[in-house]
Amino acid sequence: MDFDSVFVESPAEFFSENKNIAGFDNPGKSLYTTVRELVENALDSAESIAELPTIEVTIEEISKSKFNAMIGLVDHERVDAELYDDYENEKAREKRLAKEAREQERQAKAIAAGKKVTVPKAGKGRGDTVFYKVSCKDNGKGMPHDDIPNMLGRVLSGTKYGLKQTRGKFGLGAKMALIWSKMSTGLPIEISSAMKGQKFISFCRLDIDIHKNIPNVHVLEKKPNTTGWHGAEIHVTIEGNWTTYRSKVISYMRQMAVITPYAQFLFRYRAGTPEKNVSVQFVRRTDVMPPAPPETKYHPSAVDLLLIKRLIAEKSKQTLIQYLQQDFVSINKSYAERLIGEMGPDFTPKMLVKDLTDQQLVRIHQLFRQAKFDDPDGDCLSPAGEYNLRLGITKELHPDMVATCQGNEMSFGFDSVQVFEGHPFIVEAAVSLGGKSVKPGLNIFRFANRIPLLFEQGGDVITRTATKRISWSAYKISHLQDKVGVFVSIVSTKIPFKGTGKEYIGDDITEIASGVKSAIQQCCIQLKAKLVRQKAARDKLERKKNLSRYIPDVSRAIYGVLASIANEREAKRQKYEPDSREILHKVADKEVTEVTLSRKLTQYVDQVDAELALDYATQSGLVKAREPISLAGVDWTQANYLELHSPVCVMKLLS
Amino acid sequence: MAPRRGGDGGNPGGELRKRLKTDGSILQIIKDFAEATARAGIRGEKRSLSDLALEESCREVAELGSGEVKEEIEKLVLSVTKSILQGQGLAYTVPSRTSANQLYVEELDRIVLKDKTSIRPFASSSTVKKTAITTRILELVHQLCSKQIHVTKRDLFYTDVKLFTEQAQSDTVLDDVSCMLGCTRTSLNVVASEKGVVVGRLVFVEDGDRIDCTKMGVGGKAIPPNIDKIQDMESDALFILLVEKDAAFMRLAEDRFYNRFPCVIVTAKGQPDVATRLFLRKMKMELRLPVLGLVDSDPYGLKILSVYMSGSKNMSYDSASLTTPDIKWLGVRPSDLDKYRIPQQCRLPMSELDVKTGRDLLEEDFIKKDPRWYQELELMVKNKEKAEIQALSSFGFQYLSEVYLPMKLQERDWI
Repeated sequence: MDFDSVFVESPAEFFSENKNIAGFDNPGKSLYTTVRELVENALDSAESIAELPTIEVTIEEISKSKFNAMIGLVDHERVDAELYDDYENEKAREKRLAKEAREQERQAKAIAAGKKVTVPKAGKGRGDTVFYKVSCKDNGKGMPHDDIPNMLGRVLSGTKYGLKQTRGKFGLGAKMALIWSKMSTGLPIEISSAMKGQKFISFCRLDIDIHKNIPNVHVLEKKPNTTGWHGAEIHVTIEGNWTTYRSKVISYMRQMAVITPYAQFLFRYRAGTPEKNVSVQFVRRTDVMPPAPPETKYHPSAVDLLLIKRLIAEKSKQTLIQYLQQDFVSINKSYAERLIGEMGPDFTPKMLVKDLTDQQLVRIHQLFRQAKFDDPDGDCLSPAGEYNLRLGITKELHPDMVATCQGNEMSFGFDSVQVFEGHPFIVEAAVSLGGKSVKPGLNIFRFANRIPLLFEQGGDVITRTATKRISWSAYKISHLQDKVGVFVSIVSTKIPFKGTGKEYIGDDITEIASGVKSAIQQCCIQLKAKLVRQKAARDKLERKKNLSRYIPDVSRAIYGVLASIANEREAKRQKYEPDSREILHKVADKEVTEVTLSRKLTQYVDQVDAELALDYATQSGLVKAREPISLAGVDWTQANYLELHSPVCVMKLLS
Repeated sequence: MAPRRGGDGGNPGGELRKRLKTDGSILQIIKDFAEATARAGIRGEKRSLSDLALEESCREVAELGSGEVKEEIEKLVLSVTKSILQGQGLAYTVPSRTSANQLYVEELDRIVLKDKTSIRPFASSSTVKKTAITTRILELVHQLCSKQIHVTKRDLFYTDVKLFTEQAQSDTVLDDVSCMLGCTRTSLNVVASEKGVVVGRLVFVEDGDRIDCTKMGVGGKAIPPNIDKIQDMESDALFILLVEKDAAFMRLAEDRFYNRFPCVIVTAKGQPDVATRLFLRKMKMELRLPVLGLVDSDPYGLKILSVYMSGSKNMSYDSASLTTPDIKWLGVRPSDLDKYRIPQQCRLPMSELDVKTGRDLLEEDFIKKDPRWYQELELMVKNKEKAEIQALSSFGFQYLSEVYLPMKLQERDWI
């Protein structure tokens, strides 16, 4: 990180004002956000050195007494019981005992009836704050030994000179989690880190002086690195709530595994009691990793006045023409000259940017807003890729069918990159059908810059598009009964998040909404073709059954009419053709009955079915009737066979 | 004559009321109109499809007696039996009733069915069920014709719910069967349940009973499903008033509008059923009265008028006996909204779908043939405003019967 051009702000202020915005609304959400910040940091770190990420996350429950021991507080027995909030008075105790007695009685009955009994869990009292130690270990870049305190113990705002597709929403990395640990437990954090090829592991224990915004280092030492490990391992102890956010944390990990199939995740939860332990492994399925997104420059239509000023403050010796040409995309030299000409007589190409007055800056900003520029290209974006998306879905959901559609230059040309307010974006989508642990109906998975979005899905452009604007039935998909998985991943240099916690993408941006819609539709079209083929195959199997079902109806109805004519007087039959009269005779003589008709129809259906089955087979090229073949004996005495060696076997080619 | 009640003072309704002439002079205007209509005869009355020598061949059905229908079914069933016994299964040739197979004949002013047909084989998964239903319906109709009884479509459906699964299926096949046999649906002895109502200066005999429609209270007489049981129509009315809505019908019946201006009032409560259409045609043909239509000022009102006049696409094979030529559009027309100063709060904005329906109607031949109708519809689509007959109630509940209709008649304001 470039320490020369950073400025410091008070993290305490920022955090206390923005706790809910950053995802620390309550202990449960804080636990979730902590995990996700550490995981995303770890992924970024590994990807920055093009290393396939291997990440281990552990959440360890810490009981109150253990916590007290950790902070050196002796457990206190309650002396004045009535002082506490969860004190049980006489009445409440009677109530509870009565309830327990009823419960026991019910269980006894259940046992007698041979049913399985679940023991009701004892509820936690309100005062029982639960603490968790969250650890995250990666195989990323690691940190230089001496920079560790500053990199973690200070809230720094990196230079915003360039622009980049990033995972983080606030550009603060894992620091919010560290501050939350300081605020909720006050316990120091522990970091082990090693850089590639480093002979030692740095170990550091520190906490943050929030108000002064400086690290307070307890220990910083070097330990031998015997295994050649590189990366970082962070332990933070925070207040949290596993019970309420358990499913969120696990689905976050699972969705992360879907969008990042080249990473290996190990997630463990260690509870106070072993039966509540959780351990999930998300295996790596590919070693194809999307390239790390490169930094790019701003597009003139994406900057505001403040940003213009900041960009100028960075480089003081620049001339106006250099500034326009070098600090922005989509402006070349001749275009810069035209722009300067348009700005007015006060502007010259050679003037220094630091000499620009505020009014002149406003003029530049106005022109940026009004002038026409080429769209930025999508080279700076790094989408998950069709291959990875498909792999991720297949490995985590095991669907019966999956179709993907990708906005990658290679497959669709530059059309797939779209632009919103000067920021390029790419939409990728996948639609899956069936699979394990997928509920019937639409299951929507949203990803923004390759991280899953789990909250506030109601207003999200992806949810709304999938539920309201796709006519699923047109693609032979029943969105109420089928197990449909809809995956949409949007990457951009700036994701237009909405809502306090930046948890969803608004539905008011036409470019994105139509991009999402067409991507999902592309997938559906692919699926439809498959579904139609499948249906044809199924129809083939069920045709005979379908046709046969109506034989009784038809033969009964026809015979009904025939019988009623045959009952009429002979003279009346004269009006019919001779062969019709013959039929009527046969009906009258019981030679033709309902059974005859039904038998004839059954024969007919058999015949038709056989013919159509043959047609189908010829069309789909499966007509190969089985023929017995005989294998000739091999004369092994002839020695000149070509041998093909592989690690598993040797094959001999017969000439 | 109905007493004239209520004074509306300064509102536009009141102004119009003052401009009304005496009932006597209005009556004279209608009388002239009725006589002119009777003299002119009925356009296209004598012409039938076969007289026209159209380029495309068309299919029309005829009213057949029970015996004839029975015979047709027997012929069909025997040929099917033959095919089954020969081991060839069965298939029906069904005239197509899709809109691509419809033709509007300007000379007749109605829609007719072209001769395209489709094969309905038993040996296909997609048509096997329909084939089975067709066979079953043929058998049921054969029974009805043998026993000479009538049942409703609902009855028919309930005879084999398991096979038909829903009434729409048996209803559709019933229409197919009338097309296949070349007879009207009434000839199949299957009727729709009663929907239409009539009230006013009309006397007829239904199955031997004499019915006087002036003595039917405010509810009116239900139009019987079997039109062939109606005989000896007599009337001293000067015109027939066709009303779209039940509510407007009730208003007119309760105000005894037909006593003030001798007329017959008919409604089918929305989209007209077969019985009402047959009844209207019968009245028009036998009594030679002009027909005035009172419908909502929206695309659906016009559609309803078009069904009475040119027939529906679903039953175009029988349009000859179902359509009533020369219905005048009395109101509520889009131009009436301003002419009668219907307040803004009583007008409704048209939805996108309404506007689209309106635009589509502009393309229809029955609108195009009369430039005055075309202009009115164009105005509606342009202003994107619609109004129901009830919008007139904003000037008082009886405004419709006491001011609007008399005024319309006095001004000969129909097109």
